[in-house]
Amino acid sequence: MTSRFPIPQGTLDMLILQIVSLEPIHGYGIAQRLEQISRSVVQVNQGSLYPALHRLEQKGWLKAEWKQSETGREAKFYSLTACGRTQLVAEKESWARLAGAVRLIFNEGTRS
Amino acid sequence: MKLANWFRRKKLETGLERELRYHLDRRISDLERSGLPTGEARRTAMLEFGGFTQIQEEVRDIWLARWLRDFLYDVRFSARSFLRNPSFTITAVLSLMLGIGATTAIYSLVDQVLLHALPVHQPERLVLIDWKGDQVANGFGSWNLMSYPICRDLDQQKQVFDGVFCRALTTINLSSGGDYRAATAEIVSGNYFSVLGVGPALGQVLTSDDDAKPNTNAVAVISYDFWKTQLGGASDVVGRKVLVNHHPLTVIGVAAATFRGIDVGEVPSLWIPASMSTAIIPGLKDLHDRRTRWMQVLGRLPQGMTLRKAQAGLQPWFKAMLKEDMRRAGFPVITPERLQTYLNSSLVLTAAPQGHSGLRRRLLEPLWVLFALTVVLLGLACLNVSGLFLARGSARDREVGTRLALGASRGRLGRQLLADSLLIGLAGGVLGTAAAPLAVQALIAFLPRDNAGTALRASIDSRLLLFALAASVTAGILSGLAPAWQSGRRSLVSSLRERGGTALGGVRLRKAIVTAQVALTLTLLAGATLFIRTLDALMEKGPGFVTSGLVSFGIDCQRSGYSEEQGNQVIRRIDEAIRHSAIVQSSAVARFALLTGGSWNNPMTILAGKRFSTEGRDINLNAVTPGFFQTMGIRIIAGRNFDERDISAPGESGWRSAIVNEAFVKRYLGGRNPLGVRICQGSGPDARPNVEIVGVMSDISYRGLRERSEQAYFPLGGEGAATFYVRVRGKPESSFQSLREIVRGIDPTLPLNNLRTVDQQVDRSLNTEHMLASLTGSFSALALLLSLVGLYGVMSFVVTQRTREIGIRLALGATRGTAIWLVLRDALVMLLIGIGIGVPFVLALGRLVESQLYDVKPSDPAVIAIAVLLLFSAGLGAALIPAHRASSVNPTEALRFE
Repeated sequence: MTSRFPIPQGTLDMLILQIVSLEPIHGYGIAQRLEQISRSVVQVNQGSLYPALHRLEQKGWLKAEWKQSETGREAKFYSLTACGRTQLVAEKESWARLAGAVRLIFNEGTRS
Repeated sequence: MKLANWFRRKKLETGLERELRYHLDRRISDLERSGLPTGEARRTAMLEFGGFTQIQEEVRDIWLARWLRDFLYDVRFSARSFLRNPSFTITAVLSLMLGIGATTAIYSLVDQVLLHALPVHQPERLVLIDWKGDQVANGFGSWNLMSYPICRDLDQQKQVFDGVFCRALTTINLSSGGDYRAATAEIVSGNYFSVLGVGPALGQVLTSDDDAKPNTNAVAVISYDFWKTQLGGASDVVGRKVLVNHHPLTVIGVAAATFRGIDVGEVPSLWIPASMSTAIIPGLKDLHDRRTRWMQVLGRLPQGMTLRKAQAGLQPWFKAMLKEDMRRAGFPVITPERLQTYLNSSLVLTAAPQGHSGLRRRLLEPLWVLFALTVVLLGLACLNVSGLFLARGSARDREVGTRLALGASRGRLGRQLLADSLLIGLAGGVLGTAAAPLAVQALIAFLPRDNAGTALRASIDSRLLLFALAASVTAGILSGLAPAWQSGRRSLVSSLRERGGTALGGVRLRKAIVTAQVALTLTLLAGATLFIRTLDALMEKGPGFVTSGLVSFGIDCQRSGYSEEQGNQVIRRIDEAIRHSAIVQSSAVARFALLTGGSWNNPMTILAGKRFSTEGRDINLNAVTPGFFQTMGIRIIAGRNFDERDISAPGESGWRSAIVNEAFVKRYLGGRNPLGVRICQGSGPDARPNVEIVGVMSDISYRGLRERSEQAYFPLGGEGAATFYVRVRGKPESSFQSLREIVRGIDPTLPLNNLRTVDQQVDRSLNTEHMLASLTGSFSALALLLSLVGLYGVMSFVVTQRTREIGIRLALGATRGTAIWLVLRDALVMLLIGIGIGVPFVLALGRLVESQLYDVKPSDPAVIAIAVLLLFSAGLGAALIPAHRASSVNPTEALRFE
């Protein structure tokens, strides 16, 4: 755990919104998805997921409800609110812009 | 929504716990399925997850931070809207400021006098030890008195106490190099400081060794205040000598700065070991005499010892001691009944974390009464602010309705209201607390300056701040309750549909509030009437003698190093000199001062046909010069004044004659000619009634104005101490200087104690009555003002609301009188219901203050009638203004307005 690469907060929020946007999903599911997607690149401390989820819920981007999970036990399922959906679009856009800008600068650097 | 979070916190907590648990359990079972052993799987899962409680904390922080941020936003919003509406804000804040300021000021005294524990080691383990029954001993001093040897005995009961000490307050003539002045000293047993756990600020404190042998350790510990104020905080004070009643004592140390003795009302300048007391205190012959009770005894219980256990643990020893004591030499001959009371005596322990105080005893009831009244006043102020909020609420109704329609949650609006009321509460609290020290100063001024004035402080400490904060928050929330309830009931549709303002419910609630205010105000008004009548009756009655132009002061020669006989000569010389002074009309000397709360008292034996004693009831005694009755303006009703026939021959012991008062004759000699009856002090079989009653005087007040006591006066013999009563020509105050000079001409070191006019003395003896009357008077004036404002406010609102209706009625031919009646009827209903609720309250609460009253019953119809009448007429007056406005409504305009 010592070589953990900390994921920037904004990025984690965006990733969570993205995962939740696909289908209502509980915390453990989100952690597993994150694990699968980013295993080789970043490691997410599984516990730190929950403060992020609650913050997003407070902001009104996520809503939650207790439902039966695939194991039969009740779990808290998160889904995106209308607000959250707008936010995800905006974040994706600004991320794309940022990434584009960074790429542009890097390309410029190699050219000169 | 977030406010709801706060109140549903428990549910949130269990939800979070379940959620995190679910995650961990799933992870463990997944890891197990992938082949890890159970223990290993659990460890890995925990490691991956990070600290469980830490995560919980983080999530909680998020909830709280969000709630606080929103709340701060609300507070800003409230503040802005308050600033936009200054007249509302000022009225509301001022109301609460008055309420909170008054409550805090009174609480400051309650805390200092009644509640504050001594600044000593574990004060909660201190107990006062008192004798219940009969000690067969002579007492001098205030209350809870026992002898010094009993304290020493108790200190040996190690199974019950960690230590027992005794103390007695005494007034001394103190000089630290310069002039002589009266000061308070505490005579203490040597273990006083060690049992209390108080150390020195400089040098050392007294130890048991200082108290071991009589009159050998001429030492004293001075108080920090005395050191700082009288000795300039000199660093070489240890080893200096001070003169106490003209005896040199060596200062061995300064007590800790925070420690000011164990009596909140009497701060000693120095502590003197009891072993020195026979040398220093005139009249105290033998420290080890078990028949002299003059000290309070306090002990420290060991950890874990309860009062009950300690009390039970003492009884076997105590019973044995009683029997042993009975056989000691010097135990007087007493009647069998009295002996039985003696043998049935027991020791009673009471918790004494606040020490022992006469001031507390006197102020206990008055202060709680005043505190209760200020709480009522604060309640009134809250109701007033509630009313204001409701009024503002109805003005903002449409704004609120719009916000609701736009999707604001009710919780969110509730939090806005909470922010509003807390903000007002805190603003009132800050101003009230800022004003409190001034109010406390004014309160302290009611108490006699020489004790309370030095001991009580008008400063704000952390305890007081905490109280003020709690009062402000409570007041704020209470003020917001009615508006919150109202907004909870408001229906969205009706508030949007309505044009004129509020739903009828708002007015109904405001009327209920005004009714409650009327009821509370009536309680305060009736209380004030009772206390003012009491003061009035006492002033009217007076002490029974003519006080104007009368000046008094005390002289105590033995405290200035004279022997008793020399002292008597000095007093005779002063008396002589005063009587020949040009400014003096007449003058007299009495052994004991009147109206100080204390007296010389003893049971008496009377021989009038048969022999009987006043057993169980003390007669108040005094010794006076023949000029006393004439100087004081006291009538001799029967018999004669003292003259040379009454002066005892040299070598003759005791008095020849006495003058008793009417009350004495009425109680003990009813119907019989009192002249010639023989009496004497004491009630035992050995008492010899050989003092002849030669005269009967009219009743006067001895201890205080309230009492009616049986009194007997003897011709003044002497004891080297006396009080002078001088009737002067001209303004009494202007005679002070001449009187001082006369005494100085005889002995420049002799201080005049308590030099003041007798009128001042009467005022002093009435200080609690003065305090109660003026404070309840001002509280009820404030209360009346607050409820009149409330009444006026709601009536004006009703008139505005019903302008159209009134206009229509007038247009249809109703008279102006009808319009006035329309409004007045409402006010009348509120006043009558409020008074109806208030009267039973007055009757119930009146019983609690009965002991503070004089010559008036709490159920006195006249008192209630005065309060009701005052409230009723003032209330009608306040309602007449809006009623008049209603009658001058112009029908055409009122209708066009629609």
